[in-house]
Amino acid sequence: MLDPISLIIFIAVGGVLIGAGVHFIPVGGAPAAMATATGVGTGTAMLAAGAGMTGLVTAASMTGQPMILVVLAGAIGAMLMMGFTMLIANYIYVYGCGVVPASAKVDNDPITGRNQEIYCTPGTEGHGIPTVCFVSGIIGSLMGGAGGGLIYYVVNNAATNASFITTPIEAAALAAIIAISVYFINSVIASYNIGGTIEGFHDPKFKKIGRGFAACLIASILCAILCVLILGGI
Amino acid sequence: MDPITLGVVALIGIAATIGGASEDIESDIGSESNPNSQVQLAPQMGHLHRMVNKAISGEPVAYGVWCGISCSVAYLVMTLNAGFLSLPIIAIAIGATVAALVHVIYTTTAHIGRIVGQAQFQQPLFYDLLIECLGPIAGHGFIATFCITSFCYLMTIPLGGNPLVSFPLPVLGVVWGITIGAIGSSTGDVHYGTESEYQTYPFGGGTPVAIQGDIVTKEACGAKNSIDVGNFCAKFGGPLTGVCFGLIVFFSFWITVVFGVTGGIIAGAIIILILIYLNFRLETFARNVYGPYEEEAEPAEEAEIVEEAEKAGQ
Repeated sequence: MLDPISLIIFIAVGGVLIGAGVHFIPVGGAPAAMATATGVGTGTAMLAAGAGMTGLVTAASMTGQPMILVVLAGAIGAMLMMGFTMLIANYIYVYGCGVVPASAKVDNDPITGRNQEIYCTPGTEGHGIPTVCFVSGIIGSLMGGAGGGLIYYVVNNAATNASFITTPIEAAALAAIIAISVYFINSVIASYNIGGTIEGFHDPKFKKIGRGFAACLIASILCAILCVLILGGI
Repeated sequence: MDPITLGVVALIGIAATIGGASEDIESDIGSESNPNSQVQLAPQMGHLHRMVNKAISGEPVAYGVWCGISCSVAYLVMTLNAGFLSLPIIAIAIGATVAALVHVIYTTTAHIGRIVGQAQFQQPLFYDLLIECLGPIAGHGFIATFCITSFCYLMTIPLGGNPLVSFPLPVLGVVWGITIGAIGSSTGDVHYGTESEYQTYPFGGGTPVAIQGDIVTKEACGAKNSIDVGNFCAKFGGPLTGVCFGLIVFFSFWITVVFGVTGGIIAGAIIILILIYLNFRLETFARNVYGPYEEEAEPAEEAEIVEEAEKAGQ
């Protein structure tokens, strides 16, 4: 069984991974839904949480396995969700709306080197999900999924040994609820730091990641202390 | 590899596909996602409309609630031992029906509240439109929650000794509800926001900020309403959303069922690399076929072109 200090450290690490991961995910918010901005057409916290939930389910399907496998399963689940979502969204942008994926934040794609500017519709901040945004989204979901999986593993481990838990399914449910809560808290903090939309690691807003990192660390430590109290106190 | 588990995983994928498609069409009819910003903006720009507007909550959170309600009620009815009613398929239908009823109450209050808030821009509240759209919204919502509750139940029953996920049914419902809301909001709603709302503008470009709020308010026959949106999006955005959700749910379990624990993680990583490559190919296709953005011909140039064409015709 994990001691309370280790539990706090692991939850804090998981929370920071989630918060940092959100900064990588290309979200264009409402403007992207009209192909007015580059990225996925939904909110930062919502998309990150959606990926995190898939990672949580795949991590939970590994219950009983070593920590590294549970964390990796969480990361793979979140990456699958993000990868399929970005690909299908791009199919809709290209075939349904007739737009070319292009970023307005850089002149050339840092990965493919392709020109972006001449493909952007005037009056927009780009549209679709170009390669650099796609790769950035995959990195972000890897971090977020791994963080969620880590929190699920340690809380499930601690809850299984808690005096008031009688069945494994109760421990899994409690671990899931705490993991979802920490995921949402860190996603929302990160989305406030981003301030609406971000294209990924090549976006100038990405430089604010340090401040988001610190805020998520503080919030995650507070969440971890509450979690220790819920699980039976120190 | 257990063939029964594999069959159940395939069934789960099919249920997710149907549920995903239905969820997206429902959110398009109810205008619950990000494109609703344009429906909200339209009256301020002088475009009065007959569209349902119920976006008082994010789609993922809303669907987390509907699926949570459906799964909770279904779990409760199944554990009541009420004979016929406690059969899983009946209990799931009861759960989805209760969720649909709550959905109808939410839609009514959200729409009226939203539209009344726009009264200062002379936007009328059309009761006939609201009543007309409640059925399709509740119906599509019912199909979505029924499918999601069904596959959540399949995940919790012991297959070969262990269930696929050891979560209680209500928690699993909330988790997958949030996920489908995020997917529907990210994929299918783009078709609604970029194409359905701006059909009067030429196909093949993003929506410039200058024309935002200038949404289409007329259809081939009379005023455009939310049923027309559902009809439009059911042809492309909705089915693709279903495919997306189905693939995610299917591959999340297929990799470990077929390749085992460690092999499944490696298989998952390979699938992700394939997805990156497919996106690269799609971008290449779009750049080659559509080319760089070209401005439309100026009105004066257009007039010259028409004049030349008329002369050529003579």
